[in-house]
Amino acid sequence: MTVLILTSEADVTADLVVLRLAEDGVPVVRLDPADLTAGAGLSVEYGREAGDGRLSVGGRRVDTAALRSIWVRRPGDAAAHAAHPSAWLTEESAQALYGTLRCSGARWMNHPDAASRARHKPWQLRIAQDSGLAVPTTLITTFPQAAREFVARFPDLVVKPVSGTHPREPARAVPTSRVPPDADFSAVAFGPTLLQRRIAKRADIRLTVVGGELLAARKPADPEGHPDDVDVRFAPSVAPWAPARVPGRVADAVARYMKRAALAYGAFDFAEDADGLWWFLECNQSGQFGFVELDTGQPIAGAIARWLAGAPERPVRDAGGDRLPAP
Amino acid sequence: MQPFTLHFARPAVELDSCSEYAYDRGLQLNVLPDGRIAATDHATLRALGTTTSTAGSKTHFDD
Repeated sequence: MTVLILTSEADVTADLVVLRLAEDGVPVVRLDPADLTAGAGLSVEYGREAGDGRLSVGGRRVDTAALRSIWVRRPGDAAAHAAHPSAWLTEESAQALYGTLRCSGARWMNHPDAASRARHKPWQLRIAQDSGLAVPTTLITTFPQAAREFVARFPDLVVKPVSGTHPREPARAVPTSRVPPDADFSAVAFGPTLLQRRIAKRADIRLTVVGGELLAARKPADPEGHPDDVDVRFAPSVAPWAPARVPGRVADAVARYMKRAALAYGAFDFAEDADGLWWFLECNQSGQFGFVELDTGQPIAGAIARWLAGAPERPVRDAGGDRLPAP
Repeated sequence: MQPFTLHFARPAVELDSCSEYAYDRGLQLNVLPDGRIAATDHATLRALGTTTSTAGSKTHFDD
């Protein structure tokens, strides 16, 4: 049984897992959907045949019935590398590939339906709150007056993208940023704006969840740091990430979150306040983990490899439809 | 007419890590110019910032 990894060639973080699987003798096929029709191919027949598909890439072939798991890591847009790429060809190729894989019976990290839903930050905040995690008071609005009233209630705010995406043309990054006290909120009318009460943090927490395994890392904030340095990804680093213990209540709440979200993998970001309380910021369903493993030595790649190498779920053709992964 | 959130945007830092290693289709791994597997060279990975939480931001939004 083979593990299928959908990711780009340049994804060296995926290499960490490919190495672990190779060490354990688990067959792997690595495929970038962007290469469909340009180095990668697929074929599937329905009707009299069982509907099992076949994938080929780099001289390797695998039947979809022989897949034990599928890791959706950093896949490119389907057929993006084709000789004549187009939005139509991308849609055609994505439907063919993912539609075929949905019938495979392999378990997913993460299932496309679960992944799509879990990317929505408003949904994340609601599920986190319902799961028992501490969530900073947050407003998402296009009404400038609502923003003004919110800042009157919570004078110390941060702003961040609702989607987490970064604008292109020109390429820009939008870190979580502190809102200045004299901010003019009239531009809130030009785009949904996520405002959140700033947590005065003494550390950032990255909790990586792989199946039932919790691997937490903590990075202390600079006590002398400027309060405007809100986003750990962009702030000066004064200490490496170090392994951390997960409080029992947080572990229970995270387990509920993962079950509600039907995720097999999630990278949670928390801000730890002066009392040691972990405030939920977001959960990236395909969050990076290499930087944590390098700093802490925590075997995250190994945990992912073990999960991927686990037994496949019951073939979905017996169930009459596809399924979300078991929590 | 710029949305409020974009008032806090800054120029993106484009990583050029891809030129430091190349994908080997046989191994299904990236290798360094001297033939070593890139993922086993943690010093190089740190230097390139390839696995950090901003590395994926160029084309993906799950950091």
